[in-house]
Amino acid sequence: MSTDGTIHARAIRKSFGPKLVLKDVDLDIASGEVCCIIGPSGSGKSTLLRSINGLETVDTGVLKVNGENLGYYETETAYHRLNKKQIAEQRTRIGMVFQQFNLFPNMTAQENIMAGPVLVKGAEKGAAARQAHELLASVGLAGFGDYYPAQLSGGQQQRVAIARSLAMDPEIMLFDEPTSALDPEKVGEVLAVMKELAKKGMTMVVVTHEMGFAREVADSLIFMDDGYVVERGDAREILRNPKERRTQSFLEKVL
Amino acid sequence: MLNSNGHRRETTVSRVDPALKPRLRRRSAFEYVAWIICCLLAVGILFSVSTNPNFKWHVVARYFTHETIIRGLMLTIFLTVASMVFGTLLGLVLAIMRSSSTKPIAATAGVYITLFRGTPVLVQLIFWFNIAALYPNLTIGIPFTDISTAVDVNALIAPITAALIGLTLNEAAYMAEIIRGGFAAVGKGQIEAADSLGMSGGMKMRKVIIPQAMPSIIPATGNQVIGMFKETSLVSVLGVAELLQSAQLIYARTYETIPLLIVASLWYLVMTLLLSYPQSKLEQKYSRTSSRLPRKAKKVVLTAPEGIAR
Ligand SMILES: Nc1ncnc2c1ncn2[C@@H]1O[C@H](COP(=O)(O)OP(=O)(O)OP(=O)(O)O)[C@@H](O)[C@H]1O
Ligand SMILES: [Mg+2]
Repeated sequence: MSTDGTIHARAIRKSFGPKLVLKDVDLDIASGEVCCIIGPSGSGKSTLLRSINGLETVDTGVLKVNGENLGYYETETAYHRLNKKQIAEQRTRIGMVFQQFNLFPNMTAQENIMAGPVLVKGAEKGAAARQAHELLASVGLAGFGDYYPAQLSGGQQQRVAIARSLAMDPEIMLFDEPTSALDPEKVGEVLAVMKELAKKGMTMVVVTHEMGFAREVADSLIFMDDGYVVERGDAREILRNPKERRTQSFLEKVL
Repeated sequence: MLNSNGHRRETTVSRVDPALKPRLRRRSAFEYVAWIICCLLAVGILFSVSTNPNFKWHVVARYFTHETIIRGLMLTIFLTVASMVFGTLLGLVLAIMRSSSTKPIAATAGVYITLFRGTPVLVQLIFWFNIAALYPNLTIGIPFTDISTAVDVNALIAPITAALIGLTLNEAAYMAEIIRGGFAAVGKGQIEAADSLGMSGGMKMRKVIIPQAMPSIIPATGNQVIGMFKETSLVSVLGVAELLQSAQLIYARTYETIPLLIVASLWYLVMTLLLSYPQSKLEQKYSRTSSRLPRKAKKVVLTAPEGIAR
């Protein structure tokens, strides 16, 4: 179990019933890389992201996260499902931030942040509380520890959610449209936290419609459409000068 | 017709500040008629009930706090509390089994719930009372060893035991559905968030799902308590001397059937009313907290256009 922070995918496929949602998707993300995934609605961005932390299981293909096969172990002939405990262990090393924040409403901000370390990793409460304090300060919410999610604005909730994921000390952070449920004036505060995180060298995969963020922060960019990775490469390069027709027409619409 | 014209003229004449005028509720003629009919009916019934000597209100008064009745009431309360407590615990187990991803476990709970909700409680009670006919001797022991004790089922299943088992097992099926409904009301996102932190199944249940399911489970459970209080009257058929049976025991002797049924009914009514107050408080409390939960964000997403350009 070494620290790694890489994601490699080869020809992964995923279908929901008869509908193929990921079609031979390849992915290579290096440690410390910030990768943005863009594309129209229903193109499979969320499904790809959710596959990376095992919320969805892919049907076929190779998917290595942090250098390990995610959710499975490999033998000569097949992939065998890991047991729940091993899967949970892998998950603790991958943080996930949701569009809907998904903070636990029955816990305060601080308890939310402490939930992972204390309940999952068995960390000592005092140490976890201190860590929660630091994390809250780092997302600009010092002093908000005793607030319940319902008492926080969307932007504040999302920052607590980011802190909650960071509390597990993950190698990789996944963001699924982290600012799409926010009022426009709250988007900036969340993006600022993410920018900070990128600077610190966190491996990040971000599904987003924020082209400004992609241009400024992302190293690489992936454009998905209809389950295919249509174009991938350097973020600024693609945004400035997309090669594929479909990328061009999508960017024309959103920029 | 009359007052619509009248009102309009009034507004132009009167000096009351138009901003401060009260807004009156419109009462239809139908409402007045309904009131009159209701009052007439109420007076008629009251008159008949209080003057008809066959109601024997003095008998009602005499037996209302009679020792037998009070003892019956106590037993009824005991049966209600015990069957609710055990039924809820078993229901919780069933609900967790029902939501299990292991098929046979979920199916077992499903069959249980179907059986116990699909047959009348009365039949179940009589069934448990007569279970000795099926298994006259119960042997409790450890499989594949000689350690065991034989129990005479007839002695074990006394009427009150049968009553308790019957009510508990039946209630468990209903509580399982209520609790499972509560679980289902917890958003998928909450479970995914817990999963993404690597929480185990049991941890998720205890720390995330159950606390959030409580607001919908508790008021429903309160309703079940009220229902159960009256349901216990069914066990009178087993000869358990709960409230109704106590009343029956007395009128079998004195032939004062109606007054004693009134005594029992009054007690059921009093207890139900006493329980309804905390129940309505619970309902209010939990409907308020659940509306404080962050549901707003969800709505925003549903209406937000995809791929908003910024
Ligand atoms: N659990 C599911 N069951 C069945 N179909 C699903 C499920 N999840 C996603 N899909 C389908 O898979 C396709 C891709 O969905 P996905 O959520 O990955 O798209 P997306 O690119 O994230 O879109 P959006 O921008 O709207 O979030 C869609 O057509 C969707 O209907
Ligand atoms: Mg999506």
